Amino acid sequence: MATAPLLDRQFLERLERLTIHWHKSFPGLVGGHNRSQFAGGGQEFLDHRHFHHGDDLRAVNWRAYLRLEKLFLKMFQVEPRVPVRLLLDVSASMAAPRPDKFWYARRLAAALCYVGLVRLDTIVLQPFADGLGERFLCGGGRHRFSPAVAYLTGLEARGRTGFLLSVREFLSRYSQRGLLMVISDFLDEDGCEKPLQYLADFGHELVLVQLWAEEDRSPPWAGELDLVDAETGQQVRLQVDDAARREYTQAFDTYAASLQRLAERAGGRYLGVAADRPLEEVMFGGLSRAGVVE
Amino acid sequence: MFFLNLSAAEVLALLSGASALVVALYLFDRARRKIRVATLRFWVEARQPAPAHRRTRIQQPWSLLLQLIGIALLLLAIGQLQFGPRAGTPFDHVLILDTSSWMAARQPGSGGGQLIDQVREQARAYVRALPRYDRVMLVRADALATPATAFESSRARIEAAIAQSAAGVSALNLQQALEFARQAQRVGGGRAGEIVFIGAGRIAASASPGGGDPAPPNLRFIRVADRIENAGLRRIELKRSPSAPDTWEIYVSARNYGVRPRTTPLTLGFGGAPVGSRQLTLPPGGEAEATFTLRTTAAGVLEARLVHRDGFPLDDRVTLELPAQRRLRVAVYTADPAALRPLLEADPRLSAAFRRPDQYEPQPEADAMIVDGFRPKAPPALDAIWINPPDGGPLAFRQRVQNARLVRWNSAHPLGAGLRSKDWILASAAVLVAGSEDIRVAETEAGPVIVARAARPRAVVLGFDPARSPLRFELATPLLFANAFRWLAPGVFRREEVSGGSVGTVRMALDRATPPEAVRVAHEGGATLPFTLQDGVLTFFSGTRGTVSVSAGDREATHSLTLPEVGEARWEPPPGVRRGVPPAAAPLPAAFDLWPWLALAGGLVLWVEWLRYGRQNAGVRRGINAGWKPVRWLAAWRTRRSES
Repeated sequence: MATAPLLDRQFLERLERLTIHWHKSFPGLVGGHNRSQFAGGGQEFLDHRHFHHGDDLRAVNWRAYLRLEKLFLKMFQVEPRVPVRLLLDVSASMAAPRPDKFWYARRLAAALCYVGLVRLDTIVLQPFADGLGERFLCGGGRHRFSPAVAYLTGLEARGRTGFLLSVREFLSRYSQRGLLMVISDFLDEDGCEKPLQYLADFGHELVLVQLWAEEDRSPPWAGELDLVDAETGQQVRLQVDDAARREYTQAFDTYAASLQRLAERAGGRYLGVAADRPLEEVMFGGLSRAGVVE
Repeated sequence: MFFLNLSAAEVLALLSGASALVVALYLFDRARRKIRVATLRFWVEARQPAPAHRRTRIQQPWSLLLQLIGIALLLLAIGQLQFGPRAGTPFDHVLILDTSSWMAARQPGSGGGQLIDQVREQARAYVRALPRYDRVMLVRADALATPATAFESSRARIEAAIAQSAAGVSALNLQQALEFARQAQRVGGGRAGEIVFIGAGRIAASASPGGGDPAPPNLRFIRVADRIENAGLRRIELKRSPSAPDTWEIYVSARNYGVRPRTTPLTLGFGGAPVGSRQLTLPPGGEAEATFTLRTTAAGVLEARLVHRDGFPLDDRVTLELPAQRRLRVAVYTADPAALRPLLEADPRLSAAFRRPDQYEPQPEADAMIVDGFRPKAPPALDAIWINPPDGGPLAFRQRVQNARLVRWNSAHPLGAGLRSKDWILASAAVLVAGSEDIRVAETEAGPVIVARAARPRAVVLGFDPARSPLRFELATPLLFANAFRWLAPGVFRREEVSGGSVGTVRMALDRATPPEAVRVAHEGGATLPFTLQDGVLTFFSGTRGTVSVSAGDREATHSLTLPEVGEARWEPPPGVRRGVPPAAAPLPAAFDLWPWLALAGGLVLWVEWLRYGRQNAGVRRGINAGWKPVRWLAAWRTRRSES
């Protein structure tokens, strides 16, 4: 699986019609494609205000001055370039019980990266487990996609998930707010709700993409099982029956719902993705409906 | 049940073994397994299942039970379980159908039907009379016994094989067919039933079972009535007349197979033109012969026909393809043709062209040449006979002798075959110098005077002139030339015979001295046929119509095996042999085949088990659960309603 290309050419061609969108207004360099509520040197007229000393005379509405003999200044809507950051979970749980989930996460990250590159956005691929890994910055157009694919292909899933450590490190490393997409299974023994809330409070717009394998949500096993945690190595011997499996699925769904509530409360978005869903359906269905890409 | 011939107890044992295997696999499958999972937090959050202490505890008894039931149902289906009474162990019967050539005869008043139609009808009747579970092997018998089916219980397959049986071209060899049937029952392993022969029982006289093993005790004979008058050609033989090689001597024999005397005309035609006819008087069961002569050197088709109507027209006509008379073209270079003309024109197989010595060509349009009394400018490129050549010809002279007596002939060589004359006195002869590989044919006291050289082109050198001396009145002189030409061109002088007969075993008399390695028997397709050669009699067998050529030394015989072989004798079964189609077996209450339903039920049970308990079908299971949701909702609604 690791030798197969992450995305095929036909899929990439379809991705070119998409654009990454964010809802919040962020300060940034002019030249993006998302409107901001901040006034600045854009093209679209936003409002008028009184002229103050030091304002740019080129923005004075001279027609209004001739009629009213007062100086009014035209304000324009800015379209800034906002950093898009993609936090990719590379902990060991992403490859358990089968490596499909991690493979799927890398494909999803590659697809989002390609969408951003096509629109000249700057994408930061930031892997994390119990801390941040070495990031990969890509921007400047689609021709920079191949290095990104090589980088994603070379990632390996190992280590424990440590959301708190990772978020602390992230906040200290990236001071500029922006769109933050987190692709993870969010299976942290210490809980990930609080660190995610930190990110939201800091001003980032959160997009939480929860990935799960079918076995993560609906374990098919029955009978006597020795279950081993992929990250901690902790082992539990259980007698599993249908009732236990039902309750497991219920607990999983409750946790997913809590993540969704957290994201929505913070003005972000949430998308739960089963790893057996076609990626095309996620990109043009789930993420599009959630307004992450349009 | 026919489940590998196992009894019910054995099937039960098999079922027990399979069940034990399933249980063992089940326990192994359900044994505790170590699984690596992404997290344990939801197991902890969910109701904590109790750990098991006994590994062998059956955790999903319904799954195991369903598997066992499914396998049991499938095993019973394979065992062809039937519901209803049935007989004991079934019998294995061998049904021998007479497919000899006689089965193509037409019964008068049968509306054009052949005897084989009656055979097929009787065979069907017999098969229908058998108990349902008895197995039948169908054997088609003519000169060979050929099984058409194995022991088969499917009546449809047996009837299809019966329908495909047709009359052959050879006579019935009943003894061989009965022996085959006995052996089939012996090695079949089943319970031997009857050996049933259905046919007219007309066999070749040499194949009567009376002379061999007695009829099997389980034999049943179903006779097909064949009151058919028939007379047919038995054999036709042609060979070149020894006195006139351009004349065919023709011998035709016919036989009356009926019970009434018959007088019938026999006509002979060659190339479409009649060349002779005879009136044959055939007594009942007797034969008559007729001879003809046909003078021709051309090739063509010879047809012999009995001009009458009978129930078996296939043996009333025979055609043979006659080869052309081959000729040896000889270019004779001589200054005195009158001396050699009588020698060369006596045999129609020779075609001599006389030319003067000054017309000599090394390679004229001929097959051989005679160089008479001169030395040509260039040596001949063809086989040649040199008569009294001058010194310096093909062989050097040692000396020339006068009034020398021939003292020795090389009778062992074909050139000297039959020559023993010792009273030849040669007025003048050259004694030749013979090399080590040259053949000394005739010698005087001074040395050889007739020498042959075998290297191509062949040469026979006569150191004297037999045609211009008193030797021309000697009998040995034409014999010497005949030997020389036969040695130079053996193909032209080969004895040709053509015969027409029936397929089957063919016997042919050869010279006792003929070695087996000199004999070749080949079918018209080119395939060689096996043969035996014993006491000068060549015997071979051909089961198909066609032409078989036999080559043995200077003899070549062509057998056109196109006549059907008709048995002369009628086989009568010994007393005690059961006859006729037996009454139908007592009808059993119709047994009901359960196996299709058992197979269906077994498959269904295993499918349900897989859906319900299979590991890789969680999605399917969810679908089923979703399908049950309305039912559950309805049940809950009814409960609430009843409570309210």
